[in-house]
Amino acid sequence: MNRTANVVAIARREFSIRIRTRSFLIGTLLLVLGVVLIALLPTVISKIDTVDATKVTIVAADDALAGRSAATVSTLLNAGANAGQSGTSATAGQPDFVVGIATDLPAARAAVTRGEAAGVLGIERAADGTLAFTYYSNDPASGRTAGLLQQAANAIAVGDRLDRMSIPASQQATLFAPAAFAVAWPDPARTEPIQGGAAAVGQDMLAFGMTILIFMIVIMYGNWVAMSVVEEKSSRVMEVVLNAATPFQLLAGKVFGVGLVALIQYTAVVVAGGAALLGQPTIQSVVLGGPAAASTVPQGLTPELLLLFGLYGVLGFLLYASLYAAAGSLVSRMEDVTSAVMPMTLMSTGGYLIGIYASMGLLDARSGWITALTFVPFLSPFMMLGRVATGVAQPADVAVSLVLLVATIALAIWVAARIYAVGVLLYGQRPGARAVWRLLREGM
Amino acid sequence: MALVIEDLHKRFGAVEALDGISFSVQPGEVFGFLGANGAGKTTTMRIVLGLMKADSGTVTWGGRPVHDWPRRTWGYMPEERGLYAKMPVVDQLVHFASLYGIPRSRARADARAWLARFRIGDKADSRLETLSKGNQQKVQYIATILHGPDLLLMDEPFVGLDPVNVAMLKAAFLEMRDQGKTLVFSTHQLDQAEELCDSVAVIDHGRLVTTGSTRDVRRSTGHQVVRVATAGDDRGWLESMPGVTITRDGVDYAEVRVADGVSPQRILDAAIANGPVLRFEVGDPSLEQVFVERVGALEDDERTLASAGTVA
Repeated sequence: MNRTANVVAIARREFSIRIRTRSFLIGTLLLVLGVVLIALLPTVISKIDTVDATKVTIVAADDALAGRSAATVSTLLNAGANAGQSGTSATAGQPDFVVGIATDLPAARAAVTRGEAAGVLGIERAADGTLAFTYYSNDPASGRTAGLLQQAANAIAVGDRLDRMSIPASQQATLFAPAAFAVAWPDPARTEPIQGGAAAVGQDMLAFGMTILIFMIVIMYGNWVAMSVVEEKSSRVMEVVLNAATPFQLLAGKVFGVGLVALIQYTAVVVAGGAALLGQPTIQSVVLGGPAAASTVPQGLTPELLLLFGLYGVLGFLLYASLYAAAGSLVSRMEDVTSAVMPMTLMSTGGYLIGIYASMGLLDARSGWITALTFVPFLSPFMMLGRVATGVAQPADVAVSLVLLVATIALAIWVAARIYAVGVLLYGQRPGARAVWRLLREGM
Repeated sequence: MALVIEDLHKRFGAVEALDGISFSVQPGEVFGFLGANGAGKTTTMRIVLGLMKADSGTVTWGGRPVHDWPRRTWGYMPEERGLYAKMPVVDQLVHFASLYGIPRSRARADARAWLARFRIGDKADSRLETLSKGNQQKVQYIATILHGPDLLLMDEPFVGLDPVNVAMLKAAFLEMRDQGKTLVFSTHQLDQAEELCDSVAVIDHGRLVTTGSTRDVRRSTGHQVVRVATAGDDRGWLESMPGVTITRDGVDYAEVRVADGVSPQRILDAAIANGPVLRFEVGDPSLEQVFVERVGALEDDERTLASAGTVA
C-alpha cells in the first residue's frame, strides 16, 4: 500500500470535515475580526478621541494673559497626547484638546460640574505680580491632564516673569529652545542604530502578537489533534482504519490535515491583518475625514520576521501536534483528554509566558538563562521571535535553534508513532508513565 | 490459500488471553469462531489482522505471513461498530475504500449500489448518526467488503440485527462465499453458526476446545440425540424412561441424549404409545449442545455461555 496515498487520504478527511464545521467558521471569523480590529486600533482610538475632544477653559486676569496661556496649554496638551498615540490625531487634523477662554470663573466651574467641560484653569495675579494657578476638575489630581497643565502653568509663569523682567519675545524663544539629547548603546561595540520610539514599539509589538498567535496555534490545534484521536478511539473507528492504514500514516495524516486547517485559518488572519494595516490611511481618511496618507508597512514588519513567524509556527505545531496525538492515543474518553495533554500544555504555556515577559521587558531578554532557553526546542517557537525582534538574536542563533527544533520533531514523531501504535488499541485504564515507557521500549 | 493459525500465545499482564490457539480455515469456506465473551475471539482476530502482536505463534495465509499481503486482502468488521457518526454515509465508505487504494469514483458508485441493495440507498447522503442501529450495521458491513477483500473477519456481525436484516446479511455472506471469498466470523449465537458455517472452532478461556467441520464437531461427542414431539403437553413418559436425559425441554419439541446401548427405537415406541407423534428425529447434537457439554465439562464456574447461546 502506498504510504503517502493513505496519509493524504486521512489528511483529506480530517481537513474536509473540519473546514465545514461551524466552530471553524466562527473561530476564523472571530480571529480575523480581532486582528483587523487590533490593526485598526490607531484609527479607532482617533475616532473615539475626536468624538469627545476634551474641553479645557482658561479664566485669566486679563485678556492678553488668557490668550497666551490658552496657546501654551493647547500646544502642550495636544503635543503630549499625540506623542502617546503615534501622532495619528495630528494627521487627521483634529486636536484632542480644545482650549477655550472665559471670563466668568463661577459660570465656567458650573459648566465643568455639569460635565460640559473637563476642567477650568483659573489664573490669578497676586498683589506682587506673581501668577497663581488653580485647576478645577472632577478628574484625579494626579491625572495626565493635570500633570500636563502643571507643566503648562510653569511655562506660563516663567514666560510671565520674563515679560515682567522686560526680556523681548525673540530672546525668550532662544531661552526655551530644546537642549540636545541622545540615547546610545552602553556597549561601544554595538553599532546598529538604536530604534526610535515608534519603530521599536512596532517590532516588539509584532513579535509579541506573533508569539501569541503561535501559542494559540499550538494549544488550539494540538488539542484538535488529540480530540480527533480520542474521537476515533472512543467510536472504535480506529480499528477499522487500522486495518487499512498503519498507525504512523494515521498520525501523520491527522497532523497534516489539522495543520492545513491551521494554515488556512492563519493565512486568512495574516492577510486580513496585513490588508487592514495597508488600508489604514484610506480607512482613516474615510472615517476621520481629511486626505489619505500614503500606505506604509509598519517598520518592524520585515520579510525576515514574517518568514520566521511562519517557520516557528509550522515547526512548533508539528512538534506539539505529534505529541498531542500520542497523548490522545493513551485515553479512551473525551473527558480524559485534558489531563493526558497536560505535559504539553504546561510546557508550551511556560515557554509562552517567559517569551512574552521577555519581550515586554519584565524579564531581561539578554540574560544568560533566557538566551539558553530560546534554544530549547519545546520553547524556541515561543521565545525566539521576541529575541529576534529586539535585535538580540544573531542569525546563527536562529539557525541553531531551527536545526535543534527540526531534529527534535523527527525524534518526537518517532516516539509519538510508537506510543500511538500501542495506545490506539488500549482501552480502559489510562497507562501511567512507567507503562508508557515500557510500551516505548517494547513496542506492541 | 488456507489461513493457518499456529500456537498463538498472548498475555495481558496476569491474564493469559490466548494459550496455544491453533486452527486453520480453508479458502472459500464460511468459518465460525465460537466462544463466550472474553474467550479470546477478538484478540485472535486482531492478531490475524496484524493489529496486535502475538507473544508467540504464527499466522499465515497461503503459506505467507499475513503482513506480507497487501492490506486490501483483509476486511475487518470489529465487534463494536466503528464509523464516523457525523460524516455522511457514502463519504465515509469512500474514505475507507480509498485507504485500501480504491479510486474514489469507483468506491462511490460501488457504495451506492450496496446501499441500494441493503435498502438504505436514500440514506447515502445522511449523516451516519441519523440512521437506526441496524442500518448503521449494514453500513459497517459495506465498509468491510467495499474494497473487495479475499478474507473477511467479522466480530459478532449479527448482534443487534432484527430478523429481516439478519436474513439480508446472511444472503450477503453466502454471496461472498460464492464469489470465492473466505469468511471468518465470531459469534455466540450458535444456531447462526450451525446454519452458515462449513467449519468452526470453539475456544474458551484462551484455549481451543475443538475445531473441524461443523458436522464433525457435532459428531465429536460420540453420541446422538433424539428430537421428539407429541401432541400432548405431558412429557412424564419421556422423563421416566431409563437411559434417557432431556437436554432441551422446548415447547415445540424435546431433545434427549440417549445413553450408549439404548436404542432410539424404544423412544419412538414410547412416543407412539403416548399420543400422536408430531416429530421424531435421530441426529447429531446441535452445536449449542456440543458447546455446553464441552465447555461446561472444562470448568463449571461462571459459565455464561449456555444462557448466552439460548437467549440470543
